[in-house]
Amino acid sequence: MKKSATRNAFLGAFVAMAVSLGVLSAPAKAAEQITLTIWTFGEVIQPGLQREYQKLHPEIKIIPIKNDVDPLHQKTILSCQTGGPADIIAFEVPYSGYWRTGNRPSCFQDLRQMKTSGINASAGVAAGLSANDIKKNYLPWRWEQGVAFNDNVIGIPTDVGGLQVAYRTDLFKKAGLPTDRVAVSKLWPTWDAFIATGKKYVSKLTPAEKKAGKGFIDDAGSIYAAVMNQGTVKYYQPDGTDGGKLVYKTNPQIKKAWDTTVKALDAGIGARLGQFTSDWNIGMNKGAMATILAPAWMLDYIKKQAPDTKGKWDIADLPVGGGNQGGTELGIPSYSKNKQAAYDFLTWYLAPEQQLKVFKTYGLFPSTSVLYDDAALLDYKDEFFSNAPIGAIYTKGVLKLKPIFEGELQRKIDSTFGAGLGRVASKKMTSAKSYALVISDIDKLFKN
Amino acid sequence: MTTIKDGKGRQKAPLTPWKQKSTKAKKPLPGVGSMDGRWGYPAIAPFFLIFLIFGVAPVVYSIYIAFFKWDPLGESEFNGINNFIFLFQDSDFWLALRNTFSIWALSTFPQMMIAISLAAILRNKRLKGKSFWRTILLVPNITSVIAITIVFQQLFGREYGLINSVLGLIPGVENIDFIEGVIPSHIQIATMITWRWVGYNTLIFLASMLAIPDELYESASVDGATKWQQFKYVTLPSLKNTITFVLIVGTIGGLQVFAEPQQLAADGGSTKQFLTLTLFLYNQAFLNNKYGYAAAIGIAITFIVLIISAINFVITRKISGEGSR
Repeated sequence: MKKSATRNAFLGAFVAMAVSLGVLSAPAKAAEQITLTIWTFGEVIQPGLQREYQKLHPEIKIIPIKNDVDPLHQKTILSCQTGGPADIIAFEVPYSGYWRTGNRPSCFQDLRQMKTSGINASAGVAAGLSANDIKKNYLPWRWEQGVAFNDNVIGIPTDVGGLQVAYRTDLFKKAGLPTDRVAVSKLWPTWDAFIATGKKYVSKLTPAEKKAGKGFIDDAGSIYAAVMNQGTVKYYQPDGTDGGKLVYKTNPQIKKAWDTTVKALDAGIGARLGQFTSDWNIGMNKGAMATILAPAWMLDYIKKQAPDTKGKWDIADLPVGGGNQGGTELGIPSYSKNKQAAYDFLTWYLAPEQQLKVFKTYGLFPSTSVLYDDAALLDYKDEFFSNAPIGAIYTKGVLKLKPIFEGELQRKIDSTFGAGLGRVASKKMTSAKSYALVISDIDKLFKN
Repeated sequence: MTTIKDGKGRQKAPLTPWKQKSTKAKKPLPGVGSMDGRWGYPAIAPFFLIFLIFGVAPVVYSIYIAFFKWDPLGESEFNGINNFIFLFQDSDFWLALRNTFSIWALSTFPQMMIAISLAAILRNKRLKGKSFWRTILLVPNITSVIAITIVFQQLFGREYGLINSVLGLIPGVENIDFIEGVIPSHIQIATMITWRWVGYNTLIFLASMLAIPDELYESASVDGATKWQQFKYVTLPSLKNTITFVLIVGTIGGLQVFAEPQQLAADGGSTKQFLTLTLFLYNQAFLNNKYGYAAAIGIAITFIVLIISAINFVITRKISGEGSR
């Protein structure tokens, strides 16, 4: 999940203050009081659910400390060597490859060895459940992203970042395109059709709108990740070893994703608004883009950034179908002093009931596949998105997903390709030249 | 060669008065004498202990790991001087060097001029609410860099930023891309740095301006000097030492620019157009897991700072002349 730096910065400062106050006042409290420190980012730990749990267990105090994704990763590495105060740590799926490899899994408690204590029996989590017992609730390939190569279970999945297309019905209507979500989904069975639709849309824009930088999609570069994740192999191919085999030079999926994105860039359908920049936030309010490739967790962001566009959005299927972006694991560091309390919290927090609540309030799509045929999920509609049955739409997408092997430097390689497409988008380099530079930059990662 | 000798010769000059002072100080002052001996060491020990743990030890350790392929959670292997050889062949390093100097120049020189002008205004005896103005100057300095970056991104946004909105009023002017453009992105970062440090430097200049004796100005005005001439011939020459100080501190800070570019784009931009030396170091260690290589970069930065400081020293000596006070 990409997160807004704004919120993180302010929340981080606030939380840091809250924590230091908490630490100072801690000795005064009764001895049974347990404090769970959670290192997290973005919206992974929901304040609403946190309050609910503390109401359930007044003796447990939960303190989430937020960082950005990358600094948090560094903090986790450091604390693994030195010990630290965290009882639960969130790590993003692109980093899961790092933690699952080598002897790094030992940084996390093997959750197969843990058993629920039964303090949450009344809330639906029975006593005596190990990670192996709750595994069946989760989407199998998503569960595997928290299983290390030595079979230790180091993390339990939070959400799955199902990807669909959020589009503006009012702008589609103005451009003479259909507005009904079924008809819109039919517009683009393939990525080529999506680009063609974009061209049609852009051709209807007035010169003034074009000059103001309006486009069909917010950032054509986002197509790359969408196409990549529709394959089964990214930069590492499973070959029986922990690390996997590097295939960033040979995997045809990469070339396909690159070429599709370059085609979209050349067609000029993008508004060139980088996601999570201030221009993007403002552009959302100004109707600068008619579509966004939106993972489920982004819907909440759109609601908060552009409240005035309520009812103007709808959700259609992703071209080709089945897209994924993001997703997080929650694990317990080996050094935690409150492993039992942490495990009890995790098993409650990530249980299907709670994941459904999170989805309804914040839009993070549940990783618990037992919900996927549950009417409570499938019938869930959102007013903001023209009453689209987002539960059913995202479920359909998630069920089409295929597992992808995440390697050690996945996140870095992803961002190197992103920079390469950025050079093409800003017309600083031709596609071929930029691609060659991407490959040589990645080569350099593995040299020396 | 001769210039270096010159430099060495001149270095000695300022040292002499200090030496003389220290010989004078050998006579114990009344009442302080008892503090002079063994009790002095425990008194200064806390600083040196903490400095040893958090200053010297990491430096020594990073010199050590610069010779390894270092993995904090795995096995490390000895790599000889390969990290350094790789560094000199790495085009990103030279690019980062260029960016760092460009941003440094764009921030330091305008900053100096603004700070001296502001100090000259604040020095005015008839100015009302002096403490208020002086206090407010420090506010940018204590603001978080991340907050500054977020605000400035709204100013510098390509489509909806304030600056481009204003420029858009002029017909025929294209929006400036303050991220993708090399110089524009440097200007954006330099502006953030300037905004944050100009107040601090103003106060330093102000302090040394207030130390200039009034008689100099009085006699200048008796001689018929205008305000501008007073500034040029009295104020500026008296500030030479302060300018040297600000320049050296600014250079060291300028070579460590990190948070601003990192907030704009963690990888330093699509063509690494604003990848600075410290951001390059950080990314090698913490995004690419090349800790040993990052340590080697750190050593290189240290040498660059040393070289620049030496050059700075020589040049400012030359400018301020032998008659420095």
